[in-house]
Amino acid sequence: MLEITLDKSKVQEFLRLLGQNRRLFAPVKDRMGTTFSEVVDPSLVCLDGLNTNLSPKEVVFPQWETLYTFEEDQANEVKLVAQETLLFGARPCDARALELLDRVFTWERIDDPYYLHRREKTCVVALACNTPGEACFCSSVGGSPVGEVGADVLAFDLGEQLYLRALTERGEALLNEASALTEKATEEDKRAVQQAAAEAEKQLQPIPIPKDLAALKESFDAEIWENLGQKCLGCGTCAYVCPTCHCFDITDETKKGVGRRVRSWDSCAFSLFTLHGSGHNPRITQAARYRQRVLHKFLYCPENFGEAFCVGCGRCITNCPAGLDLRAVLERLASLAKVG
Amino acid sequence: MTKETNEKMSGNGWEPRIVAFLCNWCSYAGADLAGVSRIQYPPNVRVIRVPCSGRINPLFIVKALQAGADGVLVSGCHPGDCHYISGNLYARRKFALLKSLLEYVGIEPQRVHFSWVSAAEGARFAEILGKVIDSVRSVGPANRMIKRFKEVA
Amino acid sequence: MNQVEETLRQEVAKLLEDGTIDVFVGHEAVSLPLRTSPCFVRSPKEVDRLVWDRICTRNLATYLPQLFKRPVGLKGEWTPPKVGVVAKGCDSRSIVGLIKEKQIPRDRLFIIGVGCEGMIDRHSVGRVLGVVGLADAKVDGNSVQVIGTDGREKRIDIADVLAASCRECQHREAVLSNLTVGEAPSSAPEVSHYANVAGFELKSSQERWEHWVEELSRCIRCYACRQACPNCYCEECFAEETAPQWLGVTTDLSDVFVFHLGRAFHQAGRCVDCGACVAACPQGIDLRLLNQKINKDVEELFEAQASLSLEEAEALSSFRMEDDQSFMTEP
Repeated sequence: MLEITLDKSKVQEFLRLLGQNRRLFAPVKDRMGTTFSEVVDPSLVCLDGLNTNLSPKEVVFPQWETLYTFEEDQANEVKLVAQETLLFGARPCDARALELLDRVFTWERIDDPYYLHRREKTCVVALACNTPGEACFCSSVGGSPVGEVGADVLAFDLGEQLYLRALTERGEALLNEASALTEKATEEDKRAVQQAAAEAEKQLQPIPIPKDLAALKESFDAEIWENLGQKCLGCGTCAYVCPTCHCFDITDETKKGVGRRVRSWDSCAFSLFTLHGSGHNPRITQAARYRQRVLHKFLYCPENFGEAFCVGCGRCITNCPAGLDLRAVLERLASLAKVG
Repeated sequence: MTKETNEKMSGNGWEPRIVAFLCNWCSYAGADLAGVSRIQYPPNVRVIRVPCSGRINPLFIVKALQAGADGVLVSGCHPGDCHYISGNLYARRKFALLKSLLEYVGIEPQRVHFSWVSAAEGARFAEILGKVIDSVRSVGPANRMIKRFKEVA
Repeated sequence: MNQVEETLRQEVAKLLEDGTIDVFVGHEAVSLPLRTSPCFVRSPKEVDRLVWDRICTRNLATYLPQLFKRPVGLKGEWTPPKVGVVAKGCDSRSIVGLIKEKQIPRDRLFIIGVGCEGMIDRHSVGRVLGVVGLADAKVDGNSVQVIGTDGREKRIDIADVLAASCRECQHREAVLSNLTVGEAPSSAPEVSHYANVAGFELKSSQERWEHWVEELSRCIRCYACRQACPNCYCEECFAEETAPQWLGVTTDLSDVFVFHLGRAFHQAGRCVDCGACVAACPQGIDLRLLNQKINKDVEELFEAQASLSLEEAEALSSFRMEDDQSFMTEP
């Protein structure tokens, strides 16, 4: 498929051109480093940050959205008309997370139209990593700093220029739109990319991941959860910054006979997450809730989808106000398996 | 808000909608007295009766603004006259902080009012209400912090 | 290791050995630089986990109420544990507040007070580094040596990256303690701890509104601020009540305003400006600009500061006949 290079001085023009009939989402400078934002002025795009503070999952799974509105006894469906969207500069971990989210939102009997109408209109240009971020461990959970899963185009930062490789027909069509600004990649360029990829992969230290599902099941009553549960504050930070977390709450908001049913992000770490209408809460301790978070990602999702729902982006680690480090937890769990 | 804009808006038929939380024993009775005494005052107020001004949860005022009230009035017994002895004295502290906080975040101070009106002060109630309505009129329809439902996410 | 850390470990070991306490709440090291995690030490053999340095930002008082709650599903007799905790000035004030509000029992608490001249705000360090991440950092006297993910090293004065609440702190020593370790801290510089608020008050209504719209648009309703705050211990927060539903759960700006105004107001007369909320926020929202406004009003109108002593009643649980009422509407 198409392999091209783009002079970095032309990136703004490239984005302006492609953004003409699309919404553009790209990393911008932010007081927390960089963050994904809808961008109208491409000069604000910043590709020098490592991972963004918040993941780009908002592009396909916003923090909240209206499912339908109602007035008296009449329900009105929301028109699902997403705009063509270009998600530019997502790291391979984030792109891979989108592919995992795809599986959840098309699971078994349900094809979630709210998710899909956005996802189908989103073209993903992933930007490979040259150096790992503060807490990255993508290669330990089946990903790679130069991974292609979930992306339509994979870009490499080669210093003076970007190299871009189309991965899908949609990606190729996108790149062709900007052919006036780009050059075909030379053999030298391709060698530089291979070099960069090898360098990037070398820099990641592998960490132990518990892969023995039976052993993980056994860990349900282990003391480790009590110890971790004591530290966990029970906020929603980790779930909200995580690119693969997808749980949501559905609530109604009404005002005098007019209203809307909305869904919004939810976190299994919240104490109310499993609160029943009766008042009973099966996960009444923070230990039980923290255990749920980890086992969902590393046991139940592998059982349901064949893969752990963690792409190793490290955002939960860098953002946790309690200083909890998932890598340390995984290491303990992996060692428990060896002992047991 | 210029005088011209204000007149234009009133010309468009906009009338301030004020929510008034009145304590049962003093201010509500005072408002009632204004009514039976046939004291004229503008019809812009919707009254909510509460047992005591101390019962007012600051969130009531915030929610009234969120619901689209152009102004809010909270009125209770004069200090020393509270039917529950000291409810209004605790309330006074809460209201001082709340008014200051709302102004601080950019809610126009002309929208939020607190007063003391006793059961015998029908005329005073009408006067204060008139003042409140004029005050709200001077800043126009509320457009900050209103939760709007017609728009779809 | 520094002297305070060493003494702390020794004292805690003694307290655990002689049964004065059953568990000690402190800070322990984590792999990420400039961070710690709360630590629950139950045996003298574990005291080496405890650390004390210019990176112990969190407010440990948040972790105390849960220790005094009967474990769910436990049958039979249960007595609350005796709990030890290390406390900076702000932590100790939060503890005073929690004792007054009957969330923790004074007689089962052993407080080790430590003088504090301010903790490092890692977000400030992040801003010095720019978009480059923080690979490593080492506190060295009054400065911190940092290494970015690009390999470049930098020496930063701790004074330049102090947490904002630390910069303006007037209570460097614990206001309540059973034991003090370490030297007394130098006296706090005479700075107005409301300078940010005073400056903000001078802006126009429109400017203030626009500031809060921009600032609160960043909120993702994760509730990290609430969970990190020692004063927020309600089993059901107003933000989650459904009968009545005070506010929606989304990031609809109107609801975000209601949440932060409500939470700030619930702190009135109780907030000790420990900065835990700001440190916890993943979006770096300056919540102090809101909380300090109420603190300033409480101090100016009612001559009260939160939780300095066990004897003083909280500002909103008391009143004076002469309280200010100049804000009220008269005909």
